[in-house]
Amino acid sequence: MPAIRGPGACVYGTSGALRSRRAKDGELGFVGCCSGLGAARGPQLRSRVLRLGGRSARLAPVGAMEQGRTAYVNSKADGSEGENLHQISTVGNSTNIKWHGCSVDKLERQELLQQKGCVIWITGLSGSGKSTLACALSRGLHSRGKLTYILDGDNVRHGLNSDLSFRAEDRAENIRRIGEVAKLFADSGLICIASLISPYRKDRSACRAMLPGGDFIEVFMDVPLQVCEARDPKGLYKLARAGKIKGFTGIDDPYEPPLDCEIVLQQEGSKCASPCEMAEEVICFLEEKGYLRA
Amino acid sequence: MSGMHKCAPAKSESPKKPSTKKWGSSLLLTPKSSSLSPRSWLCNITLGASRFIPSISISQSLDISINAPHPPLTRQSCPLHSSLRPLRHSSRSLARLPPRLRNPPRPLKIAAGDLPPLGFRKGYLLMSTLGNSTNIFWHECPVGKHERQRLLDQKGCVVWITGLSGSGKSTLACSISRELHTRGKLSYVLDGDNLRHGLNKNLGFKAEDRAENIRRVGEVAKLFADAGLVCIASLISPYRKDRDACRAMLPESFIEVFMNMPLELCEARDAKGLYKLARAGKIKGFTGIDDPYEPPLKCEIELSQKDGICPAPGAMAGKVVSYLEEKGFLES
Repeated sequence: MPAIRGPGACVYGTSGALRSRRAKDGELGFVGCCSGLGAARGPQLRSRVLRLGGRSARLAPVGAMEQGRTAYVNSKADGSEGENLHQISTVGNSTNIKWHGCSVDKLERQELLQQKGCVIWITGLSGSGKSTLACALSRGLHSRGKLTYILDGDNVRHGLNSDLSFRAEDRAENIRRIGEVAKLFADSGLICIASLISPYRKDRSACRAMLPGGDFIEVFMDVPLQVCEARDPKGLYKLARAGKIKGFTGIDDPYEPPLDCEIVLQQEGSKCASPCEMAEEVICFLEEKGYLRA
Repeated sequence: MSGMHKCAPAKSESPKKPSTKKWGSSLLLTPKSSSLSPRSWLCNITLGASRFIPSISISQSLDISINAPHPPLTRQSCPLHSSLRPLRHSSRSLARLPPRLRNPPRPLKIAAGDLPPLGFRKGYLLMSTLGNSTNIFWHECPVGKHERQRLLDQKGCVVWITGLSGSGKSTLACSISRELHTRGKLSYVLDGDNLRHGLNKNLGFKAEDRAENIRRVGEVAKLFADAGLVCIASLISPYRKDRDACRAMLPESFIEVFMNMPLELCEARDAKGLYKLARAGKIKGFTGIDDPYEPPLKCEIELSQKDGICPAPGAMAGKVVSYLEEKGFLES
């Protein structure tokens, strides 16, 4: 099933087929499965929200349930409308779950923040300057009054991903989880800067697919291995060459450079742009694409 | 801007390194050579310089190395790179900005509280091995939690709503989000079911998967709170131990809200038709039917029926938002 469509369209999966419906003005635009309301409470909440907002409350599109089976469970017999069918799904190992929409959607948050949420995914070898660029970018955007958050691969491995190692399958899971979290941040309206090696093309493409078109901005730190190794800011290349670290990207684990990323930051010979200059390039891109305004 | 730390010349800088004249020169400190504790030392550093992008590298030899320019610590003596100067808004564009975004950000200062507790518990920073993640480092950034909170004019926190299925958690979460939004505060709802569509789709409902579900939601909520948002987590989270573990991640900004609705009421509502399936034996290990729910022993807010009547979502949301206001989360 395709990923979330553009704003205003509500997409929810049926068994195999897609239905989409645009919320009309003044209508809450309930997706049938949304908000977890007791059916009796539904009409009350509807009128309450309309009084508060007075505008067409377009709900955020329901995330399509990838690889999910859905089944309709009829609502209780207490006068609920047909559109209030409860859509119980199985996604992966999670059975009997239901997507809950919420009254405050992405557009409203973006309006509040005066920016559009997106994910800037910085990929490259260890020591290529990803974290440095992420910090410079965050600083540059902050000085423009924009809200950002950095998901650094190493930092996230201190918390959410502390149960994962560096084996191929765990790297894939690491990237998947960070992609999902970045998606949540982008949905909340923040500019999420993910900085991690993410060596495998397939995993990065999977993250790209999670976000609506254009909201995933891949930045490739194209720095030669020799330069990264000469920097060796964490002393890891030395350990890897000495055989003390196995499966280290660039030494004995592959790095697959992107084929179609949005921005490539290249080092030409011995000349390396400063982090500020590189951050400026990314900020210009964001400005051009309209992410720095609602 | 306060303080000035004298940087010792780098001992380990290799001549082969690419030119780092614009932002890098290393400072090497060992716990022996520094008379200051890391906490007070770092409090002295003020990030007014444009190109100060601290990259705290940590090594097993217990050295602390920080890449820093020879610090000109006043804006006047080190003109900011144009990309990092606050934008000069025209009066028209300024008027369009929300109030809290109209003022340019103040100069950055790393306070000890911004730094990860892990690094300073022992008084020095180490290359870490955490769980299965080996050889990892904590990367600090000049834009920290306090800066984001000043930008948003609120304090990040986690509102953790727990209760039986059908007790009204998701409804309350949405109401709180709406109420905060009307006050110009940024919040985000992490709904247990919604997360099971994405981040947690590889988890089932066995006890260990529930624990992992709650752990992951807790970690993500922590990230959102760090970003400055009011993060509203709404999930059954039936086991006390798991909720307490999440509380431990956020010592001062964890607000537990218990939806204390009786099982009979939740079952009568049966918002998703799940109680019916559970009673028919089609769902196993369903909380409240054949899996326990452990109510909180000391939560911040308890919402229950009054004289057999359930309060309206708006009223309950109002109570939570008032609590947040009282505790100062709705200002920076």
